[in-house]
Amino acid sequence: MSELCFLTIAEASRLIAAGKLSPVELTEACLDRIAELDHLLDSFVTLTTERARAEAKAAETAIRAGGPVSPMHGIPYCLKDIYDTAGIRTTAMSRLLADNIPTRDSFCGEKLVAAGGVLLGKNATWEFAHGGPSWDVLFPPARNAWNRDHSPAGSSSGSGAAVAAGFAPATLGSDTGGSIRSPAAANGIAGLKPTYGLVSRRGVIPNCFSHDHAGPLAWTTEDVAILMNLIAGYDPEDPGSASVPIPDYAAALTGDVRGLVIGIPQTWLEEELPPSAPTKAALEAALEVFKGLGATVRPVKLPPLQDYDDAKKTIAVAELFTIHGKDLRERPELFGASLRYRIIAGGLVRAEEYVQAMRWRTELARAMQATMATIDVLMLPTNEPAAKLEPVAPETLFTRRSWTTAFNVGGNPALSVCNGFNDLGLPFSLQIVGKLFDDATVLRVGDAYEKATPWRDRRPVLVAKETA
Amino acid sequence: MSTEPTKEEIVLLARQAGLNLPEAYFEELASAYANVRRMIDRVPTGRPRGDEPAHVFSPAKFLPAGK
Repeated sequence: MSELCFLTIAEASRLIAAGKLSPVELTEACLDRIAELDHLLDSFVTLTTERARAEAKAAETAIRAGGPVSPMHGIPYCLKDIYDTAGIRTTAMSRLLADNIPTRDSFCGEKLVAAGGVLLGKNATWEFAHGGPSWDVLFPPARNAWNRDHSPAGSSSGSGAAVAAGFAPATLGSDTGGSIRSPAAANGIAGLKPTYGLVSRRGVIPNCFSHDHAGPLAWTTEDVAILMNLIAGYDPEDPGSASVPIPDYAAALTGDVRGLVIGIPQTWLEEELPPSAPTKAALEAALEVFKGLGATVRPVKLPPLQDYDDAKKTIAVAELFTIHGKDLRERPELFGASLRYRIIAGGLVRAEEYVQAMRWRTELARAMQATMATIDVLMLPTNEPAAKLEPVAPETLFTRRSWTTAFNVGGNPALSVCNGFNDLGLPFSLQIVGKLFDDATVLRVGDAYEKATPWRDRRPVLVAKETA
Repeated sequence: MSTEPTKEEIVLLARQAGLNLPEAYFEELASAYANVRRMIDRVPTGRPRGDEPAHVFSPAKFLPAGK
């Protein structure tokens, strides 16, 4: 059964199309594995077992009659619990939404239903995709698939853990400051924050409108590309949605990176936020792989990370308060302490301060695009390997700098892939950043790296707890 | 605005925001706001008058479907 659960979307799709794998068999294998092992990870907050069985059966019948309608036909997936699901509880992990049952699917959810996907359930998140990890919200925090004592990062925590653990080959998350890339990094999988506006956020509970991105997580970049083919595209119901041509992302995975120019943000990595020695070594080893594939590497300069963090977080705290102000005024006790601390001061941000931060974002985003125009992709770590799962002082949100947030400010596509493991067996991560709407190049580069290295051959080992 | 907000300043801003919080939450608000204040103080403000923010209105987004 485990072997089926570790099939990628691409592999399972080929087997299903050839009549060698049944969607029902694959779905039951995933459901069995979740039932056996998810008590170790708490990666799901809601299972949709009966729906999954019905969708798998329907997919099997339809594929037998006319072949698959998409590479996701008959393939199990899950959704971060901020994606609206018609008739299925969508909580954002918050006591405020304990009984929230949407009447309509999100835009992305509709696309996956139309593609014939099989919904297994909803994944744990940080509360409203912002505050966490928390032990005083609706469900316990998810755990890292490689070592359950470590953090799966956030906020798409359960999404990252579920894919790495082999519970589902695909999931969708959201990324406002790193919330797809960080869980992908911590759990050793691939996760893409697409270009802002490329994937609709309609029906995704907001964190911060101006920086929110919806996007896919999967075991491989190839699978991320398959998912992007299904969910990218203009949506008139999302005011941030971009009307641009959508390429075939899977077809862009040629494996060829000859002539690619890779930029390294030298000041960030040498002065402002230097990586640990092992993380630096993993990055350098990855760059050697790319050189061997025909790419060149050179340093580039960007505005300070601190500038990007300050602009984004000033904007975000004001937008978050706007979204949650009524509840903060009337029932603040229902928020988890971590989220409440991170958003309550947004009510004190004055309009001028918000707009000045937005004007700064224009400048910082332009600076990002000017640098990106001189290279093909930027590379840097996504995060350090996962720390222990334990309460984090909430003020660290305001004081900690990251390697991820700048690309939410710029809106650029950014992919995290696994580039090795540390002495504890926890994944290292490589972040690949592209030009606006050039997500295809980012995916091509990530896929070429994965296929040139052995890191996709290793899976976490989970052992069920014995019950008395 | 000063870098370190006073209690009186926070009380005033909280009142303007409609936040009538119990004392325990007020302490939380004061601590959080001090962090936010430090970020805001780093946002540059001396911009040319015509500098546009990143969220200007785009009417094309509001055309009826198909236009």
